[in-house]
Amino acid sequence: MLEQLLIFTRGGLILWTCKELANALKGSPIDTLIRSCLLEERSGAASYNYDAPGASYTLKWTFHNELGIVFVAVYQRILHLLYVEDLLAMVKREFSQIYDPKRTAYPDFDETFRQLKMEALARVEDLKRSNLNPVAGNAKKQVQGNNKLGFEGGKKKKSGSVAKNGGGTDGDDANGRKMENGHANGSFVTKDANLSSVVNGRENGSPNVGAFDVQKLQKLRAKGGGKKTDTVAKASKAEPNKKVTKKNRVWDDTATKETKLDFTDNAGEDGDRNIDFVAADQGESMMDKEEIVSSESEEEEEQEDAGKNRKPHAKSKGWFSSMFQSLAGKANLEKSDLEPALKALKDRLMTKNVAEEIVEKLCESVAASLEGKKLASFTRISSTVQAAMEEALVRILTPRRSIDILRDVHAAKEQRKPYVVVFVGVNGVGKSTNLAKVAYWLLQHNVSVMMAACDTFRSGAVEQLRTHARRLQIPIFEKGYEKDPAVVAKEAIQEASRNGSDVVLVDTAGRMQDNEPLMRALSKLIYLNNPDLVLFVGEALVGNDAVDQLSKFNQKLADLSASANPRLIDGILLTKFDTVDDKVGAALSMVYISGAPVMFVGCGQSYTDLKKLNVKSIVKTLLK
Amino acid sequence: MEELEQWKEQLSHFYNLVMDRLREVPPDQLYAAAAIAIFTTLLLLSLRLFKRAKSNTVVLTGLSGSGKTVIFYQLRDGSTHQGTVTSMEPNEDTFILHSEKTGKGKIKPVHVVDVPGHSRLRPKLDEYLPQAAGIVFVVDALDFLPNCRSASEYLYDLLTKGSVVKKKIPVLILCNKTDKVTAHTKEFIRRQIEKEIDKLRASRSAISAADIANEFSLGIPGEPFSFTQCSNKVTTADASGLTGEISQLEEFIREHVKQ
Repeated sequence: MLEQLLIFTRGGLILWTCKELANALKGSPIDTLIRSCLLEERSGAASYNYDAPGASYTLKWTFHNELGIVFVAVYQRILHLLYVEDLLAMVKREFSQIYDPKRTAYPDFDETFRQLKMEALARVEDLKRSNLNPVAGNAKKQVQGNNKLGFEGGKKKKSGSVAKNGGGTDGDDANGRKMENGHANGSFVTKDANLSSVVNGRENGSPNVGAFDVQKLQKLRAKGGGKKTDTVAKASKAEPNKKVTKKNRVWDDTATKETKLDFTDNAGEDGDRNIDFVAADQGESMMDKEEIVSSESEEEEEQEDAGKNRKPHAKSKGWFSSMFQSLAGKANLEKSDLEPALKALKDRLMTKNVAEEIVEKLCESVAASLEGKKLASFTRISSTVQAAMEEALVRILTPRRSIDILRDVHAAKEQRKPYVVVFVGVNGVGKSTNLAKVAYWLLQHNVSVMMAACDTFRSGAVEQLRTHARRLQIPIFEKGYEKDPAVVAKEAIQEASRNGSDVVLVDTAGRMQDNEPLMRALSKLIYLNNPDLVLFVGEALVGNDAVDQLSKFNQKLADLSASANPRLIDGILLTKFDTVDDKVGAALSMVYISGAPVMFVGCGQSYTDLKKLNVKSIVKTLLK
Repeated sequence: MEELEQWKEQLSHFYNLVMDRLREVPPDQLYAAAAIAIFTTLLLLSLRLFKRAKSNTVVLTGLSGSGKTVIFYQLRDGSTHQGTVTSMEPNEDTFILHSEKTGKGKIKPVHVVDVPGHSRLRPKLDEYLPQAAGIVFVVDALDFLPNCRSASEYLYDLLTKGSVVKKKIPVLILCNKTDKVTAHTKEFIRRQIEKEIDKLRASRSAISAADIANEFSLGIPGEPFSFTQCSNKVTTADASGLTGEISQLEEFIREHVKQ
């Protein structure tokens, strides 16, 4: 049964709650929904799961964008209520008719809601009953057909989400459509049948039939798309299974010396002989320079954009009708109207190297927020969509929490503890280089820094850090190679608190996100040392893999950690930003998937090439 | 290309017609028409400028969960209706304060804007600041200490914004939820915020050339920060949104919104 159904304005005032279901909700699911889902531009998702001590809820929602109202239904996660979306759509329709911006209480809606609920329940009962009988045999065929559709990939995700929306808004036609489907078993290939058969499959899959239920169907459908990633994961997992140690290749007949290769001790002497010079003060780090974005150039660029936008429109057939619509102001925006504009935006974003999955989710979220809105006169659909997308992008890229590291360092200094930063990431993204840049920046702000060489795997990693430390004249804690990084880090932090360093920068070895033993070692390091900041270093050149990297890193850190609240990635350091001219989409993908803000941007290979992320210029570049 | 030529000919033909017509009209009428057009534009411009000089906008801001939307509805309707959730959009309305509705005489309506406190929606505040006659910074007096740092950072950013400093907009720090027993007093909150802002000043202006994050710096360097050092007036008050105890806030509004 439904736990609660709420209607509230986007400004935050609750307009109506169901008085019958007066169970107090445990925790604060609505606030969490707003903060973690709707404001994070994930409003295109179908539902949201909320866990509180003592209860686990699923939340579904729908918007009425024109009036600015949100409808949310909360129910227990273990129940799979099928009528919730239909009910939400019906409630939306009924409530919009009686809504008045001046009124703040709607007691007469209780009666309407009771009727709507009974209607929705009755409808579901009808479906269940009629599906039990002759269509039972067809149900199996249809569900198998759905599996086939699921494995087609590509459109699968889109059809899944569109199907759910379709199921919601076409609740009225469900009965009629069911009759068609009873006869139209063969036509699985056409797109319409795609939609309706998926809808029907969902409605058919109620638990009473016994053969199939919705969860299995969804799992099967999801597996179809996840097949690709599974194979990749399997391939990489196969490699660590082969634990064949390498044998030295023998070129001549002399006996092989089985000496252990360990270069730690000799390095010290060699290093001293090198001509080491202190890095002269190379000027201000770019972190402290303000980015000058002149407003004049912005205006010119906007005019250019408008011109460019007009030209492709002039070539398309619907130019005259869109002009007419823009003058008259269309009644309500439908999803089909938004489609072309969204598609154009989608292509534009993908050419800017934003991951495909992220673009899809973003476009769904923007569509959800614009559907049903009234177009203002003298605006085109494309400009409305562009404005909404721009706002969404600014919202995502604006950090959720303060990224003032200096303030945190000062706070830690007062508690007489060193501030520990751990740099994690995959191979070759630039962790050691950017670690040195961050050290340089901190030194410029009169903070004493210490480096910890916990990359004990890659040859030359310790020497690299040692050279940086010598140039910057800061202490470095190293234990050589083939040592446990977690222990090295622990000892480094103890050393730092002994000699009074304010910040400890810990360098780790690069590792692929699928490599289970290495991820385990990383989570052990983080669990053991409890750093203040876990910085994920990602390069701007990465494409769709950014999504996979970040989500797997977060997932592994959460799963493999031994503690109750595991530490996740707190911030992102974006590197090699100077190599991408305007294909800056990796920043967006990483921030969207992890929710962590971009704290630094590395834009070169010298010490001063470290910047802050300028949200406005990135959004402008993405939408150019 | 031929079509273009035709269009060009037609246009030039049309243009000649218009010019002939214009020449036919006596010059006096032309001048009169032009004068009227210029006059109306000047009038509209001056009206807009005139309106801006006397602003009656009060901006409610603060961290998410401090009670701004509740106070907004208390000011407007005198009750909190059925409760609130985290705001996703600003609430703004022009109204006569609820407690003044029974008063006598002509009372000027106040334009109140409730800006969401969620950090992702912070940029919305900049849209309303230029027209503000007063800023109310709502602080949760019950749950103050865990949020002290973020509240102080937000307040610091607010007090160092160009528009606030140049126009000397008065700021009221409203300690909300004082109906609860464990709520802190406004003096305690004021002292804590001053201490935090002092530390923020130190970290944000470590090297003066490097500190361009804030447009202005606060207070006198070398002395511990206090709100009396701000160029605009900063005061504190108590309130309780849920029970409707907002008299001090209404005094502030009446004082600063020009009647």
